[in-house]
Amino acid sequence: MPLQFSFQQQSFLPEEERTQIERAQQDPRFFAPLYERYHDAIFRYVYRRVEEEEQAYDITSSVFVKALQAIHKYEYRGLPFSAWLFRIAKSELYQSFRDQKAQRTVSIENVVLKQVIEDWTEDYSEQDKAKLLRALKGLKDQQLQLVEMRFFEKRSFKEIGEICGLTENNAKVKTFRAVLKLKEYFHQKE
Amino acid sequence: MLKILLDRKEPSREEVRKHQNFNEILAALNYQQKVLNPWRYWYYPLLTVCLLLLV
Repeated sequence: MPLQFSFQQQSFLPEEERTQIERAQQDPRFFAPLYERYHDAIFRYVYRRVEEEEQAYDITSSVFVKALQAIHKYEYRGLPFSAWLFRIAKSELYQSFRDQKAQRTVSIENVVLKQVIEDWTEDYSEQDKAKLLRALKGLKDQQLQLVEMRFFEKRSFKEIGEICGLTENNAKVKTFRAVLKLKEYFHQKE
Repeated sequence: MLKILLDRKEPSREEVRKHQNFNEILAALNYQQKVLNPWRYWYYPLLTVCLLLLV
């Protein structure tokens, strides 16, 4: 059973969270409840994208330090607070890839891989699995991110859009194109 | 180079909580603020100059 990462989506910032953010903007010590709420999700988002567990902890820690440094600039613009944190996480992750401190990794569950293959072919074989893994390596990074979030982490298009800075429709279209590309690579002869 | 890991074991919520806590983050923030403070190197020399001027 693939792990679910999504939060309960809300179209507005809950009153309690708004108060917690306002208090954290005054004093970073009041960020604690927000940290408790989102730390696990941010850690897992990072963990699935890097090879070493220690690197995941380091990156998660710098995500929250960056969030605390920038909390005074945070303004509610219709996006959940988690989206803001995920964007920081994404930027920290890519900074570590650029600095070659971390290895870009995709963590997939065999069950999910099997489901994807069974949707595309009549039956599942080890050869198809190898083909799909090869096809994934052929995707551009943005396409891979979309496929990763949609199929391996089961995120909604709304959430994908919030993390990637896209509208929900745009996220849908781009994910559809990424899947087409993946299918094309999958069916390509070696 | 992309690396794909299949069926990777994830640490439990408790393990993650044990490994990292908010106080560490707060300490890291305080340390960074101290290190990044531009007055850090100028504070004592400036204080000395001011005292000398006063004298």
